[in-house]
Amino acid sequence: MASLANKPLHPFWVIVNKEIRDYVSSWRFVILLVLILLTCFGSLYTSITNLGKSIKADDPDGAFFFLKLFTVSDGSLPPFHVFIGFLGPLLGIALGFDAINSEQHAGTLSRVMAQPIHRDYLINAKFVAALIVIGTLFFALGFMVMGLGLFIVGIPPTAGEFLRILFFLLLSVLYVAFWLNLSILFSIRFKQAATSALTAIAIWLFFTVFYQIIVNLIARAIIPDGASSPQQMMAYQNLVMNMLRIVPSQLYSDATTTLLMPSVRSLGPLTMEQVYSAIPSPLPLGQSLLLVWPQLTGLIAATVLCFAISYYLFMRKEIRSR
Amino acid sequence: MLAFLSLARAKKLKSCLVYLFFLGFMGSPSLGLAQGVTLYTPYTKISVPPGQSIDYSIDIINNGSAVRNASLTVVGLPKDWPYELKSGGWSVGQVSVLPKERKNVSLQVQVPYKVNKGSYTFQVVSPGMGQLPLTVVVSEQGTFNTEFNSTQPNMEGAANSTFTFNATLRNSTAEDQVYALQAQAPPGWNVSFKADYKQVSSVNIESYKTKDITIEIKPTDDTKAGKYKVPVIATTNGTSADLALEVVVTGSYAMELTTPSGLLSGEITAGDTKNIDLTVKNTGSAEIKNVQLQSSAPSKWEVTFEPQKIDNLIPGGYVNVKASIKADRKAIPGDYVVNIDAKAAETSSKVSFRMAVETSLLWGWLGILIVILALGAVYYLFKKYGRR
Repeated sequence: MASLANKPLHPFWVIVNKEIRDYVSSWRFVILLVLILLTCFGSLYTSITNLGKSIKADDPDGAFFFLKLFTVSDGSLPPFHVFIGFLGPLLGIALGFDAINSEQHAGTLSRVMAQPIHRDYLINAKFVAALIVIGTLFFALGFMVMGLGLFIVGIPPTAGEFLRILFFLLLSVLYVAFWLNLSILFSIRFKQAATSALTAIAIWLFFTVFYQIIVNLIARAIIPDGASSPQQMMAYQNLVMNMLRIVPSQLYSDATTTLLMPSVRSLGPLTMEQVYSAIPSPLPLGQSLLLVWPQLTGLIAATVLCFAISYYLFMRKEIRSR
Repeated sequence: MLAFLSLARAKKLKSCLVYLFFLGFMGSPSLGLAQGVTLYTPYTKISVPPGQSIDYSIDIINNGSAVRNASLTVVGLPKDWPYELKSGGWSVGQVSVLPKERKNVSLQVQVPYKVNKGSYTFQVVSPGMGQLPLTVVVSEQGTFNTEFNSTQPNMEGAANSTFTFNATLRNSTAEDQVYALQAQAPPGWNVSFKADYKQVSSVNIESYKTKDITIEIKPTDDTKAGKYKVPVIATTNGTSADLALEVVVTGSYAMELTTPSGLLSGEITAGDTKNIDLTVKNTGSAEIKNVQLQSSAPSKWEVTFEPQKIDNLIPGGYVNVKASIKADRKAIPGDYVVNIDAKAAETSSKVSFRMAVETSLLWGWLGILIVILALGAVYYLFKKYGRR
């Protein structure tokens, strides 16, 4: 133990430590933290005040009372998972948009690179540090909601509920990691921090606001007439759903809904044949995970892809010049 | 000449007949006339059914020139035929009639229900003054009883079956009757009476009419085999009839469909087939024949049985059946209900399975493959650019 403590840190972890210190002490992180904390308390308040009304006699989600802390709302404030879906990208963008270009601008990049370390340590450390910050933040938030809920409601979560919440938090971290990687990618690609920030925010805005409008326009244009067969209607519905699922936020909301509402059994349109003699019962966790597996895969793949591109670009980048 | 002679003879004969006729006419009422009092009623011979009440209106006519006191009695009426003489609201025994006047008396005779068919003669007599013979013809054999019959008073069946007897209740009285229906069945048995398809406890039957009554006897399920007599009685305050029904219980039909372990849930992967062992048990005391296995599963699911049909199931015996359930490829994850019935003509048993559908792991592995590919690309980048 003593030898471990005395052993000098690996240079990679030195950079990670430094990055975390920078993140945590930066103003934008504090502002975002306060924003997220406020919304988190707001949604917790609405969910707790509406918890009593949400209990219905034949609700298949009735056994998952604790999960309602994260999903119940009376409409005045969105529930917790919707807030995370909305503010998470902003957090990721805020942590990553100036990762490389500001260093380059300040001339610190070439100074770091002058140290006897591998070049990819820097980009890896930036990513890992941001991920650690985000992970800590989300798990802290999640456990805070759980703890306060436990304190106020007095009903402990079951093992299944706890696992579902853990998976939900992991998913949220993954989702924010995607936006983090995207903004790191822009920070490598664009020399000006403002450009990369604006580009990332533009993409975020596009996907959050405009993409739905565009999909709605297309959907209205290709809507089959009333005389079309059920197969055509199904194909149409599937097409619209798949168009929406290009967006990471849609993947995230699909996945969180399924994880936090165990009675969700399918994310697409269903035929009567599939519903006939089905019992409205909650799914086991494994099945819920399998149901959102495509969404998870998509998010992981998109995150890894962004990272790979930024890695490639960074490794090929001319960093000596300002 | 000859013609004249014969005409004269005919005239003589005619006058002779007229004389005779007059003699006869004077002869019969001569008795009443002699005393100066005549008893008269227009309908002296009446034909009635049993139970009818007859109202005679009798006039007592005083032909004389003095007031006459006529005592009136009825003679020759059978003992059980009640009668009453009335006049002016009174029950009368003697009537006084003014000279050249008449007085009306009503005689009410009640023909009883129970009377033989035939002619009955009686007289209204005013002693020493006159008499009035009256005849009542009873048109049919009078009865006062009830008949309760069934063409098939014996039935055989299983303990859990319902025995339905068809019986006929006949009201052979001249009155409408309300019959209370009762049965004396062993304790726990359920006996119901039905008339006109409605369950009843009493029936109203008009005189000389019949009513079909269905008697449903349901023994308790655990009735032991044997002969049981069930007397059924229809009673009114005056008459009653009983019918002895006989129920022969052969045994009970009961079947149980279950699994050897009693577990009624299972997991199935969408598109896959799952085999379930079923046991069909005969828990009754009679043999069950021709047990069919049927299923009602979600749409596009297939359920097949091996064997599909059980020909014979002895009491206490059981047969193992293999059911293979094939889930629809497009079934959504979660729970579905699959109902399986074992049906025989006499009894049936149903079991509901809760099948938890799981999605195939194929797409899961594909997703993992994609993630591994992406990570592999990153690893390749690490290798290519990382350490230099």
